[in-house]
Order: sequence, then structure tokens, then C-alpha cells
Amino acid sequence: MKTRLPVLALTLAFGSLASAQTAANYNPPKTAWGDPDLQGVYTTDDLNGVPLQRPEKFGTRQYLTEQELADRQKEVDQLHSTIDTGNRPTTGFWASVKGAGVDAAAAPAQWIEYARHATRLSSLVVDPPNGRIPALTPDGEKRRAAQPQYYNMRPASWEDLGSYDRCITRGVTGSFFPSIYGNGSQIFQAPGMVAIRYEMIHETRIIPLDGSAHTGPGLRSYMGDPRGHWEGNTLVVETTNFIGGKVDVGGVPYSEDLKLTERFTRMDDNIIDYKVTVDDPKTFTAPWTVEFPIRHEPGYQIFEYACHEGNHAMHNRLSAARALDRKEAAGKGAQAEQTQANPK
Amino acid sequence: MFRYALFVLAGGVLLGAAPAVSKGRTFDGHPDLSGIWQSMSTANWDLQDHPAQPGPYFQLGAVGAIPSGRGVVEGGEIPYNPKALKQKQANFKNRWKDDPEVKCYMAGIPRATYMPYPFQIVQTPRAILMSYEYASSNRVINMESKQVEASVDTWMGTSNGRWDGDTLVIDTTGFNDESWFDRAGDFHSDQLHVVERFTLMDADHMNYLATIEDPQTFTRPWKISLTLYRDVDKNAQLTEFKCVEFAEELLYGDVRKKTK
Repeated sequence: MKTRLPVLALTLAFGSLASAQTAANYNPPKTAWGDPDLQGVYTTDDLNGVPLQRPEKFGTRQYLTEQELADRQKEVDQLHSTIDTGNRPTTGFWASVKGAGVDAAAAPAQWIEYARHATRLSSLVVDPPNGRIPALTPDGEKRRAAQPQYYNMRPASWEDLGSYDRCITRGVTGSFFPSIYGNGSQIFQAPGMVAIRYEMIHETRIIPLDGSAHTGPGLRSYMGDPRGHWEGNTLVVETTNFIGGKVDVGGVPYSEDLKLTERFTRMDDNIIDYKVTVDDPKTFTAPWTVEFPIRHEPGYQIFEYACHEGNHAMHNRLSAARALDRKEAAGKGAQAEQTQANPK
Repeated sequence: MFRYALFVLAGGVLLGAAPAVSKGRTFDGHPDLSGIWQSMSTANWDLQDHPAQPGPYFQLGAVGAIPSGRGVVEGGEIPYNPKALKQKQANFKNRWKDDPEVKCYMAGIPRATYMPYPFQIVQTPRAILMSYEYASSNRVINMESKQVEASVDTWMGTSNGRWDGDTLVIDTTGFNDESWFDRAGDFHSDQLHVVERFTLMDADHMNYLATIEDPQTFTRPWKISLTLYRDVDKNAQLTEFKCVEFAEELLYGDVRKKTK
């Protein structure tokens, strides 16, 4: 289902999303107590297909050309049509898992979300200017290499699988960056606070705007401790106090020194510009920034994602691994018996 | 809080057309339920009257024991039908294994309201968010006149709310049958229908009345009633209780590789 790009897209070519907003002199609606009104239900479904890091061929180019956008729209339409036709997709995410030793057909098409409108972004990372995450520190590299693998075929225990597979959390960025499902978010506002509820593993962040200090370093959490304030029409949220080493951002488990700075700016009735700077000097040699729009999609409903309650996969994967263990042990046992009976 | 005073004193002049706000009320004139709340009852241990009892592990001594408490059920007893009563008794016998709370599963409604962890209400005219510290769960109550229908069964149900004078009335359906009402094995089917009434008694105390209806499990609807207390500490906030990691050994320990 093709949709015309909003006129806003043309202004995007000339700079960052937030400065385009200033240029357009858009005046967002205000809440009854005078704060810019960010409230609503949003989705990042339209960001499906946009890579986190920019393919090198784009260089410092943030946006697709008309032709590239048309090609992306074609792929989006094809993926979207699979929901109607029931044909299992072989592009996008499912192309990426082919050849990774995964012996599985794609899940039923309607289990996966696809973009409704192709997005012009060449990558989600917008800074550094080449759209690629800066080099890791030696510590960061160690953590990246040692982290649990999604495709671990023989996990000894749940600790060999990541926080996503264990349904513990996807962390702040992981709950918000576009994925194959669970891309909804809902923003609530009351005097002195903003609350964001995420569809992805039902996280909620309550963000006080009262200028209070963060909790002390002895109190750490997976979603961190957020504090917000307004800068003009932009909500700025600074989050610290993360548990380190367990959840990743940009494919690397971040340290407890991670600081996230997020900016939410309403662009028009349907779109909020989201920008987050990842600053973790123990993991990345420089901060890096992701920016993308979140869209109010009429009729989009946030569903309960009872990840842990329905995590049959965990028991299935572990019991399958134990069955393979037993099979191998039986094979070795038979071999050992043979060697004993016929010593060389 | 002084923002409200400015509006009242200036009669709304400071922000042009902004309406004056009464103390304890939101801009749209309803009692302001926003804040952090928690029950002081032992309802989560057992909705009905219960004496102090030892816990499942003597090694934890008094720390692992069960406190006494008065029940919160109006009339005292939960009206199970005979078949359901047998199930409740079996649940009670196996509660340290079968209670979904032990597995860090979501608490459902009304149990989420009286867990021994606080929850936060964020009240807006079109939707009310209730964020529960326990297991990072939440629910959103639709306050628009157009009702939201439960299109799938969920742990926390599908909630529609409205104001009845100064009482917030929440009607919730669309539950699965997997949550319990307490740690004593009180349970329900997927026919569960809960109607809750939240009424501020004063700024820091809220009366909570829930009517529970489930024709498959109970012979008639029944009610629970308890008080919710506001956390008035300076800088009060929810902290995080993600309990999945505490339940993994008991859920998956049987399929962990044994190290010799």
C-alpha cells in the first residue's frame, strides 16, 4: 500500500531533522499546564529496512536519492504483500539469517512488522558523519567478543544466551530502536513528568522533570535512572545508573558508565523526532548519535508482550542442547567400548 | 505544586486562557490520582484471613515466614464453586511451585494493585498509565468514550475507565487464566471480569474496591476492599524489580548442563 511521502521529507535533505523543524517554525500544541505536548501512540515500523550503521558506499550522505528510495519502497511493498499473500519472505531480516546456520523457514508473514512508508534515511546512526559507530575500546572489544550469541546452538545454560532471549530486557535503546515487532511506544504527560511506555517487553520509564538528582551509584538498573528537562520545544532526557555488561547497544554490551542523552521534538501532528547520543567511554572511543522519526499511525495498537511468560523457546533450546549432549555422549561411549574391545 | 497556586491566584491570567486548577484536581477537573501508591495489607499472601505460618524453607527462619493478616474479602470467604474449590486447595498445596509470582510472571488485576511493591499512576484525560514496580509490568486504561475491545487474552487484561463523580471506575476483561489472586492459590478462569473503583479519601489515601466476577470459578460476584497509601517521601520514585533472573534456575535448572 503505497503512500505519498510527507512534504516534510523534502526539507530533511537539507540538514538534521530538528533544525528543519526550527526552520519551519512549527509551533507544537501545549498541554494544559504549558509544556509541549508529545503525547500519543507511536511506532518505528517505518524504520524497518534502515540499517543501524551506514553502508560505506553512502559516505557522509544521510539520505537516499529518489531512485534509491523508490527501490527501497519496492522492497517494502514486496515484504508488505507477503502479509496478504501468505508467502514467506526471503528478503530483509530473513535474508540476514539465511546461511547463519539457522535451519528454519521464516515465521508466518503476519508475525513480522514491515514498513508502511519507506524511509529516506541511509542509516539510523547520524553521528559520526559517516554514520558508523566509532571504534571500540580494548575493553569494549573484549566484551563484544565474549557476549552470548543469539545463534548459540549448544547453550549450556540460560547464561549462554543474551538478555533478549532470556526476556530480561532490551534496555533503553533496544526497546525503542526498530525491530521485527513490538515497535510501539506511548507517551504520557502530567505536570512535572513524562512517562513512556514501550511495547517491546512492556517497559515503562517515568521521567521526572523536577530537577532532582539521579539516584546514587549504588542503585543501578537495566533501564537506568532518567531525568528530563525542556529546552524550548525539545524534551531532553539524561539517563545514567545502568547495570553494565549485560545488555548491548550497537551490538556491544555497554558498561555501567553509559550515559544516554535523548531528545524528543514534535515535528507535526504525527511525527516526533527522536535523537539519542550514546556516551560510554569504557566501550566506545567516541560518543555516537542515532536519530529517526517516530510516527503516529492511525489504528496502531500496542499489545502486551508477555515475553518471559511465553518463553517456551528457552526450555526448548536448552532441552534440545541436552538431547544433543546425550546423543554425543552415547556415540563417544560406543566408540570407547569399541576401542577397549579392540586396543590398537 | 506551586504551579497550581500561580494559576489559582492569578485567575488564569499568567497563561492566558489556562483554566484555574483546584488543589488535588487535574486540569480537566477530576481528582488527581497521579503518584506512587502501595497497599499496606497482606492481601498478596492471602486474600482471606490468615494466621502467621512458617515458610517453605526453615533455613530462612523468620525472614522466610508468612505474616498474619486480616482478609480483604467482603463477607470473609471467596465463593468458589465445588470444583473450583478443589482446584484452589490443590493450588495451595503446590503454591511454592505453581504460584506465577514465584516464576516472575505478571500479576494480573487486581493482584498487581496489592503486591508488596509500589506502583505509579500517571493520569491524563485520554489514558491513565499504571506502572507497577513488580516485574516492570504496566497497564493503560482507556479513558475515551469509545471503548477498547480485548482482541487477545493477556495477563493484565484490557481496561476501559470512566469517572463516576469523583470515583475512577475501571472495567477489565480479556484476561488469560494464568495469573493468581494471591500466594495462597486463589485463582480464576479466562472468564474473569473485574470492576475496580478508586476513590481518594484524602490527598494521600485511596480506597480501592474491586468486584470480581467469573461464572466458571465462583458461584457469585464478590468484592475486595483495601486502602492504598501514597508514598510521600521527598523524591519518591519507583525502582526496578526485574525478577526473571531470580526465576531462571527454578524454571530451567532441569535443562542446564551438569558440570562434573
